[in-house]
Amino acid sequence: MPEQPYAVQLSGMTKRFPTATGEAYTAVRDIDLAVAPGRFVSVVGPTGCGKSTLLNAAAGLMPPSEGTVHVYGEPLQGLNRRASYMFQQDALLPWRSVLDNVTLGLRIRKVPADERAEQGRAWLERVGLGAFAAAYPHQLSGGMRKRAAVAQTWIVDPDILLMDEPFSALDVQTRQLMENELLTLWTGSEKTVIFVTHDLDEAISLSDEVVLLSAGPDSEVVGGYPVDLPRPRDLMDIRNSPEFNDIYRRIWSDLRNEVMKSYERRARTLQAG
Amino acid sequence: MSDALARSKPASTKDGAAVDDRVTPTEPPVRPPAPDPSVKKSAGRAWLRVSPLVLGLQLALGVGAIAGWQLLTQVGVLDTFFFSQPSRVAVRVWEWLTTGVIYDDLAVTLQETFLALVIGAALGLFVGFLLARVRLLAAVLDPYIKILNAVPRVVLAPVFLLWFGLGIWSKVAFGVTLVFFVVFFNTYQGVREVSRVLVDNTRMLGASESQLIRHVFLPSALTWIFSSLHVSVGFAIVGAVVGEYLGSAKGIGYVIAQAEGTFDTTGVFAGIVVLSVVVLLVELLVNRVERRLLRWRPDSGRTDVA
Ligand SMILES: Nc1ncnc2c1ncn2[C@@H]1O[C@H](COP(=O)(O)OP(=O)(O)O)[C@@H](O)[C@H]1O
Ligand SMILES: [Mg+2]
Repeated sequence: MPEQPYAVQLSGMTKRFPTATGEAYTAVRDIDLAVAPGRFVSVVGPTGCGKSTLLNAAAGLMPPSEGTVHVYGEPLQGLNRRASYMFQQDALLPWRSVLDNVTLGLRIRKVPADERAEQGRAWLERVGLGAFAAAYPHQLSGGMRKRAAVAQTWIVDPDILLMDEPFSALDVQTRQLMENELLTLWTGSEKTVIFVTHDLDEAISLSDEVVLLSAGPDSEVVGGYPVDLPRPRDLMDIRNSPEFNDIYRRIWSDLRNEVMKSYERRARTLQAG
Repeated sequence: MSDALARSKPASTKDGAAVDDRVTPTEPPVRPPAPDPSVKKSAGRAWLRVSPLVLGLQLALGVGAIAGWQLLTQVGVLDTFFFSQPSRVAVRVWEWLTTGVIYDDLAVTLQETFLALVIGAALGLFVGFLLARVRLLAAVLDPYIKILNAVPRVVLAPVFLLWFGLGIWSKVAFGVTLVFFVVFFNTYQGVREVSRVLVDNTRMLGASESQLIRHVFLPSALTWIFSSLHVSVGFAIVGAVVGEYLGSAKGIGYVIAQAEGTFDTTGVFAGIVVLSVVVLLVELLVNRVERRLLRWRPDSGRTDVA
């Protein structure tokens, strides 16, 4: 146990969903996940294994069926007020301009309008959207919307960032750019990041630690893999380094097992049904 | 879960088809229409871009129809007693406008329309919100709302005349019963259909329930309401005119009823002409308002920055 409490700590977290047939579907079972303040931790696992469920529990959007969630040592009640959540889907308000969307959190906190606009513009510059303050979300490309979402979640200066496959819908080039920019933002910010992805490459190159989930249902933590690559990192170079490949191979052999299990299970359900 | 309210509704009708002669709104929540470039950017000026050929044919059709009417009444194929005559109608409208006798009636009709629209929309918005947010209430009230909405409105007119008298309020009440359901169903739908992730995102950014309403639910409901604005305005006018027709001392509907009572076909047609022009003008106004308020909506024809 470190001196400092963990920024986010899930203990024995189980989440069941009711199903149409009446019996509960256990998405994740007995999850222990502890993230120390200032760490960048990625959660990886096959699709449908419960990654979003984990984040939702950490955000307080969805109370666990069993187990506890602690945030900086305090049991979480209601929403996690120290966290921002960048959702997998687009979550910008379509009826608000990009600037108004980015500053929504400030507006909710009743920050005066001029200060809001000033901070908003600074953030738009920072994410490369300076010229699009007055545009509406539908006028932006997918990548630009993600940039706006990054600004929207960071502008409120949260201690914790929950990011759910933020870049998975982007093309490879845009994704690499965004990953680099995210690292630049995060470096020195001392913010805790829980980053969900199904892309092992992305997980390793960004993180201090990669947590692997097993295939669902009854998904569990297969293991945590520290990533001791030096920082600051250049995402182009790092992927060619032998250390990176070592870590990659180690996690991939475990991940592959889980992916295969997930396939088999799906094939079986298909046959049964 | 009381999706019953939402599910019970027929598929949406398009704006124009709404003012149907049964005077019973079929409460289609008009789904915010898919991006429609022709309506968006220049709905008001769309006719300017019609090709000369089409424009010429349109003009010819209109002129031909009126000329045919004039001709057939002139030679006696159509009886002017029943069909009047375009030239006479034009003269009558001209008289009304120059002497100013029609303005009082017009003002009354517009006033009734406006009041019915505002009151009906406010009530519909409020009740729609309430039912969308309080599931139990929606479930309990569901059958009653369906029953009330099924009542043909015309039969209510005599009741309202008794309750509210011959003045404007009986017509306003009548219009309100029409407008209310359109706005109510659209609000209900607008609030219920808000994407979960927009709500969660705004909550995670710290929004309280009232901030959620202001930033998420209300704008979403307004989208639906504005897309049904044409329908609502149409109903408000129908309410006013039909109400006047059935019993009043002022208004365009009253003018038409009076003319009918004295077998003054010219007066009836002149009333219809004035009314149609007013409706057209209001439509144009609604178009402008709509374009302004919904300018954030996707619009395929326009500047995609990316
Ligand atoms: N609200 C819900 N109701 C029922 N089942 C759900 C719900 N949310 C998620 N699930 C199920 O839980 C499992 C994990 O979902 P999720 O956390 O979204 O997976 P991932 O993000 O890893 O793709 C999936 O099988 C999904 O179908
Ligand atoms: Mg997910």
